[in-house]
Amino acid sequence: MDLALALQLDAMDPGLNPANLPYFAARSLLRLTLAFGLSLGFALAYGIAAAMSRRASHVLLPVLDVLQSVPVLGFLPVVFIFILTRVPGDSGKELASVILIFTAMVWAMTFAVISGINQIPNDIKEASKAYGVTRSRYLRQVVLPAVYPELIWGCILAWGGAWYFIPVEEYVSFGTTTNVHLPGLGFFIAQAAAQSRLDSAILGLVAMVLVIVAINRIVWRPLVARTEKYRYESTGGQRGFHARHGKLRSSLLKYEGRLATPIVSFFKYEKMNLSSFLETVPRVHVPPKVRERLSRIFLVTRVIVIIGFLGLMVLVIFFLENSPIPTIQAALNQIQSFQPIPNCTDCLSGFPLLAYSTASSLFRLLAAYLIALGWTLLAGIAIAMRQRLAKILIPLFDIGQSIPATALFPIVTLLILSRVASPMGTQLASIILLLTGMQWYLLFNIVGAIHNIPNDISESVSAYGVSGKRFIREILIPASFPAIISGSMQAWGGGWNATIVSEYIVTGAQQVQQVAGLGAVLVNASNAGSAGTVVIATAIVIMTSTILIINRLVWHRLLKRADRYKFES
Amino acid sequence: MTEEPVVRIDNVSKSFLSEDKLVSVLQNVSFNVGKEFLCIVGPSGCGKSTLLRMIDGLDRPSQGSVYFHGKPVEGPTPMMGMVFQTFALIPWKTVLENVEMGLAWVRITDEDRLKRSEKFIQDVGLDGFEASYPKELSGGMKQRVGIARALALEPEVLLMDEPFSSLDALTAEGLRKEVLEIWSNPQFSTNSVIMVTHNVQEAVSMADTVIVMSPRPGKVIDNVRIEMDRPRDQRDPRFYDYVDRIISKIS
Repeated sequence: MDLALALQLDAMDPGLNPANLPYFAARSLLRLTLAFGLSLGFALAYGIAAAMSRRASHVLLPVLDVLQSVPVLGFLPVVFIFILTRVPGDSGKELASVILIFTAMVWAMTFAVISGINQIPNDIKEASKAYGVTRSRYLRQVVLPAVYPELIWGCILAWGGAWYFIPVEEYVSFGTTTNVHLPGLGFFIAQAAAQSRLDSAILGLVAMVLVIVAINRIVWRPLVARTEKYRYESTGGQRGFHARHGKLRSSLLKYEGRLATPIVSFFKYEKMNLSSFLETVPRVHVPPKVRERLSRIFLVTRVIVIIGFLGLMVLVIFFLENSPIPTIQAALNQIQSFQPIPNCTDCLSGFPLLAYSTASSLFRLLAAYLIALGWTLLAGIAIAMRQRLAKILIPLFDIGQSIPATALFPIVTLLILSRVASPMGTQLASIILLLTGMQWYLLFNIVGAIHNIPNDISESVSAYGVSGKRFIREILIPASFPAIISGSMQAWGGGWNATIVSEYIVTGAQQVQQVAGLGAVLVNASNAGSAGTVVIATAIVIMTSTILIINRLVWHRLLKRADRYKFES
Repeated sequence: MTEEPVVRIDNVSKSFLSEDKLVSVLQNVSFNVGKEFLCIVGPSGCGKSTLLRMIDGLDRPSQGSVYFHGKPVEGPTPMMGMVFQTFALIPWKTVLENVEMGLAWVRITDEDRLKRSEKFIQDVGLDGFEASYPKELSGGMKQRVGIARALALEPEVLLMDEPFSSLDALTAEGLRKEVLEIWSNPQFSTNSVIMVTHNVQEAVSMADTVIVMSPRPGKVIDNVRIEMDRPRDQRDPRFYDYVDRIISKIS
């Protein structure tokens, strides 16, 4: 029905007219709402089944774990190729887009359902049993209310993650043959940037932020307000804190919920390995020794499971495309001969290319991380030291983080590439794009930690005259250490996710600017059609393994050390 | 002319904005604290903790003033030491470091600071736990650290905010006795103790003066001198009379 209009818009100057913005906003929202409906149904069914049936949980939880740990943006080309070959035309593109948004939304929500059910106190479970509450009544009167608060936060997280995808999905090209252009706000921004129309691009961005803020105000805020009612009382602590910092606190909670790319759930639940899955299952006793062994082999197991899963996907694609299914030798040859730039004699190819790309991505991530850590730590300290500054900065940060980083990409690229020549300009643009995908996790974790310093502690510190540099060095920085670590894990997750959109940048008139990196490899491989699927799978495996290894070697160790910097509740 | 008390609370009121409504916590509170053990008793939410924080200069009255030796209190001073309900120990600092941190005001050499901290850790019976972290201590021991930190300042006024209410009954009873012992020690440099509590028995067993406050907004509704020698016998009929008098005022 709307396709005719969409095609018409595509044919003429595709809607850089601001009058089209409401229409584009409606189209983006429609896609999001459809995907949200699917996600909600799936999350409730899957989550309740996994949390309430012991037998089902043995299968459902590990499967969920694998599904949510595959970087979703890496999925993107695979899913598009898969669906576009089945359902041609615009309806196929819409379908693919909705399914991808669904994959971005669903994991956070499913885990929210499970964690909500897990928060039901044992007393309540036992009381329900003791008083003979029927299963359906238990579901309605105990489970669903317990799920509600977590699920609302999960939904907010899911929407944040989904907005991150909107600009990517509405404007992608695979090679020269497949262009996915779907009418929507992301498309508007990308089109404007492609035509070097900075004014229109910013207009589109403003429209997107307005829509996001409006949805938060109209839909989520009233729902969040009701969550308190359904929460089981947790530790008291922080007496008086709520009264004084009530407003600030609720806005911080909001960030915690909204800071989102899909990969966050991956890091949030990464510790939920097989052994702790078993713990969530009632009445199953896992001996500590078994548990320890499970957690030790887990890294390898995970990588193997992901390799298996992606291998299966590759096979499915080959099968569906009726291509001959490659032997392992043929697959290795495909990787070996993969070289993204045609007719380039001294370019790397195959495994050296993958290794160099990984190192290159890592280097840029590190640069962006250090910049992010520096400024966010300073901002956190500034906010802690000057309450008045917090009142100005927090709303600014609020707006800043509500902008999906991917929507900023075309604008940042446009601004930088017109000033700094390639390749320096491309490198710089790429690092800044990564920064936009990383910084908010650190900022809100740090600011949140500083605001969660118990009232008695901050009062005792000032009662005993600890102030200035000493206060920063001995209190503020140690107190935010655990938050810095968990924020860093999330930031690196967001950063890896952003590599896929930040290393291969299409500027005006289909001009491609790229830097070496795993993200660029993924995009290039997807341009190669089905022949590239083996390379895509390999690149995803390398990326996921790198994430897991860095987690294990760096963050988990630091996280253990962070325990002593936590306040007792 | 009467002698200026150690702490004088002069017509203090406190209110704050909560969700755009002005909530009054304290209303026209006045009393004097001499060289004595004074307890402020009242139901929760009557602003007694807020009052204690205003005496220490951690909070400001909306109206009225708090005077320390005739001078308005403008911020925390090393002349007062504070003991917190939740102990308020820094988890990443050892017992010794926590006590030393309390001496940030005092300009002495590091060696003297160490000696002084060690002495007070000993005085509260934590000998041998200097290198432990708060996490490794029981509630009672944590509060001993809190008390050592306050005492190490050798403050003129010791402020205690429900110091025993996070402890189990037996531990609290023991620690109460010890605090009274320290207080009765002539070497002890502190002139006044101001303690906030909602436990009427605790107040009557410890204080020279009990200030009784009404529910929010907190007002002083009674000022009771406890004329009993220490140690006080809880089975003494006079003890019951005091307790009954105070409880009947509050409820």
